[in-house]
Amino acid sequence: MARFCFIGFLLLCWIATTGRLFSDPPRRQIVSSDNRELIQKIHDFIRETTGDVNEVPMTNYRETIPATGAAFDMVAIPAGRFTFGADDTDADAEDSEKPAVEVNISPFWMGRCEVTWDEYEPFMITQVDRKKHGGRIDFDANVHAVVDGISQPTPPYTEMSFGMGQSGFPAISMTHHAANKYCQWLSAQTGHFYRLPTEAEWEYACRAGTNTPYSFGDDALEDYAWYYDNSNDKYQKVGTRKPNPWGLHDMHGNVAEWVADAFQPNHRGTATGAQDPLILPQTLYPRCVRGGSWDDDPENLRSTARRGSDSSWKDQDPQLPRSMWYHTDAQWLGFRVVRPLDVPDADTMDAFWNSATGFSD
Amino acid sequence: MTNPLPRRQFVKTAATTAMAGSLLQLTGHSMVHGEAPGDNEIRLALVGCGGRGTGAANDALHVDNAKTKLVAMADVSAPRLQSSIDALSNEFTDQPEKVDVPEDHRFVGFDGYKSAMDVLRPGDIVILTTPLAFRAPHFEYAIQRGLHVFMEKPLTADGPTSIKMSELAQQADAKNLKCGVGLMVRHCRARQELHKRIQDGEIGDILTMRAYRMHGPVASAHSTAKPEGMSEVLWQIERFHSFLWASGGLFSDFYIHQIDETSWMKNAWPVKAQAIGGRHYRGDYIDQNFDHYSVEYTYADGAKLFFGGRTIIGCKNDMSSHAHGTKGSAIISKSGHTPGNVAIFDDQLFKRRTERWKFGQPEPNPYRMEWVDLVDAIINDCPYNEVHRGVEASLVTNMGRMAAHTGQEITIEQMRNCSHEFAPNVASLTADGPAPVMPGEDGKYPVPEPGILRDVEYATS
Repeated sequence: MARFCFIGFLLLCWIATTGRLFSDPPRRQIVSSDNRELIQKIHDFIRETTGDVNEVPMTNYRETIPATGAAFDMVAIPAGRFTFGADDTDADAEDSEKPAVEVNISPFWMGRCEVTWDEYEPFMITQVDRKKHGGRIDFDANVHAVVDGISQPTPPYTEMSFGMGQSGFPAISMTHHAANKYCQWLSAQTGHFYRLPTEAEWEYACRAGTNTPYSFGDDALEDYAWYYDNSNDKYQKVGTRKPNPWGLHDMHGNVAEWVADAFQPNHRGTATGAQDPLILPQTLYPRCVRGGSWDDDPENLRSTARRGSDSSWKDQDPQLPRSMWYHTDAQWLGFRVVRPLDVPDADTMDAFWNSATGFSD
Repeated sequence: MTNPLPRRQFVKTAATTAMAGSLLQLTGHSMVHGEAPGDNEIRLALVGCGGRGTGAANDALHVDNAKTKLVAMADVSAPRLQSSIDALSNEFTDQPEKVDVPEDHRFVGFDGYKSAMDVLRPGDIVILTTPLAFRAPHFEYAIQRGLHVFMEKPLTADGPTSIKMSELAQQADAKNLKCGVGLMVRHCRARQELHKRIQDGEIGDILTMRAYRMHGPVASAHSTAKPEGMSEVLWQIERFHSFLWASGGLFSDFYIHQIDETSWMKNAWPVKAQAIGGRHYRGDYIDQNFDHYSVEYTYADGAKLFFGGRTIIGCKNDMSSHAHGTKGSAIISKSGHTPGNVAIFDDQLFKRRTERWKFGQPEPNPYRMEWVDLVDAIINDCPYNEVHRGVEASLVTNMGRMAAHTGQEITIEQMRNCSHEFAPNVASLTADGPAPVMPGEDGKYPVPEPGILRDVEYATS
């Protein structure tokens, strides 16, 4: 599929998500309990909280999650143009990373670190009776706050940190849907629009103005990243290696990170000069994961390395249907959030937060 | 798809199912798979269509050593049965014939298990995946019908039911029925190799084992009050981890795997247990569980198993099992049930530096292996009945739970002979009837009172 301009493409996606056509055999749709009306309310709250974007100075800030008191840092990323993808000068680059294309990126903030269990676990385990799709069984719009209407994970069936540690460590093994819903949950409380980064935003932030395979010299990997050779078979606390030139930690390694896009076999079709390219997924798999992890070798940590998600990441789940919330086998998979400077309309928010809604596997 | 079964009187109403058994009196000869000429297919019936039951049926339909087909389903909840058939059909869109359960082979209600088993022929397999309280009546009917059985763990929550299930297991042996029990770790190829190495003396004599299951509240372990207008019995079945009669509580349902896998490595069952436990932050929760347990199990030779269970969010999570021997140590489970990531070490530190052996990754999925092994025994007519050890594992688990709930040291004989049967009338439960445990005026259910209630785990009126 060709990449379109961002806003136009999202409108197309909105049409596609509302009148979804399946290329696969027909599936039973799982309808999210948080409907368009709820998203409109969240959108309006964000508009009210954020105000006119021109008045927002782009500076780093710390966000505290109202529901839990957990805090995380956001780093301001200026607008810019960069080379998206790899070319033949990188001997490790696979075909999926090519060709390299110049694209433009609008300003946004990005999490300084990967989302930790401190932030994510209270969203994941709520001790509230939920339907399989995560809506509260007892939801009553007259009693509950807007944030309570958002689908949240049903409880996991196993211990999701897999003994690797919790406080200060990255949250892992969530599906794309779960990561999206976390962003929505965060937005509804804070009044700031949080979502997964687009693949282009992610790579732009990872490169941080560099054009080498890593945002540092090849011989400095040890100082900047957790990977197979130095991680002792587990993820490590976030922010404990050196940051990249823009102050972001663990873009390379520790846990691989979800981005918003579908995984395309290559960058062909991305137009040179495209503004904020995004390929919103039309199927549940494969979706794109970036940055490599504690379980990867150095070449998989490169700025341009890409990977597509797969249903086998749920093989351990002894239940059927397999939970839409957990990739129990992907114990090296996490995410970080972004917040675009420009607050989009409710349809765009919906397209991001619900890009995995309506699919079952 | 046409039904190649010989014409048979299918009985579909509760009022007449009681007759079905007498209509179909079976001879005592052994049932060997494939008696029907020209039919080498094993048919399956699923009794209990929740997430795990549906998963078990899915695993059964994926075996590569026989043709399997699901032909009947039963559950007390129509929506649950529907979502189960939807999920399975969705899984086999490319082989729709694997899930062949027409409307008249879907049975909703407490007697549905009989109707579902009546669809099968002797030598087929019934999958028993309801909450454990119903295991004995369901197993009894399966034996009567000459069916091979797969049943989920645990098998029992109390002494009387354990004795009953042991007797039924002997009846199954007498009929040469193959019975699998969902302690799937026993079928993990990695753990099997570890077991062999430990038996060969690679870590010397086991002195101590440690196992932990600590994480936030999961499944239906913690429940708030029943919603208005819902059947008490049906609600308790849905929230089965909250009620000792239905599941043995979170202790039995969550902890049996690790208590079983460690005892397997030791080749022995503990003979007694003492334990501590309690409840914390339980504001609106009405379930019967403690949220933390610490059990010391003792084996006949004096070796110990220390088990720690905690169901509280925000605390250190751990779901692992380790063995400490006189010549080294072993990881039995590194985190969760699969993959096991088993390994043997020279010392007691579990560091890569002193790792002597580990099982290569990836490991075959034990949830699939337990089905391959059961079907293999059926095809080749090998002795295969896991119910005996499944009962022992359940009983040992119950012993630890009872020790915590009563505050007493409990021996295995005390547990086996404890007369408190949690749900004596389980076979005649109805949606409208009273549940085996009922709430008090305050909407809360009786909870253990260690030191006050020393012989039973909760007060019965």
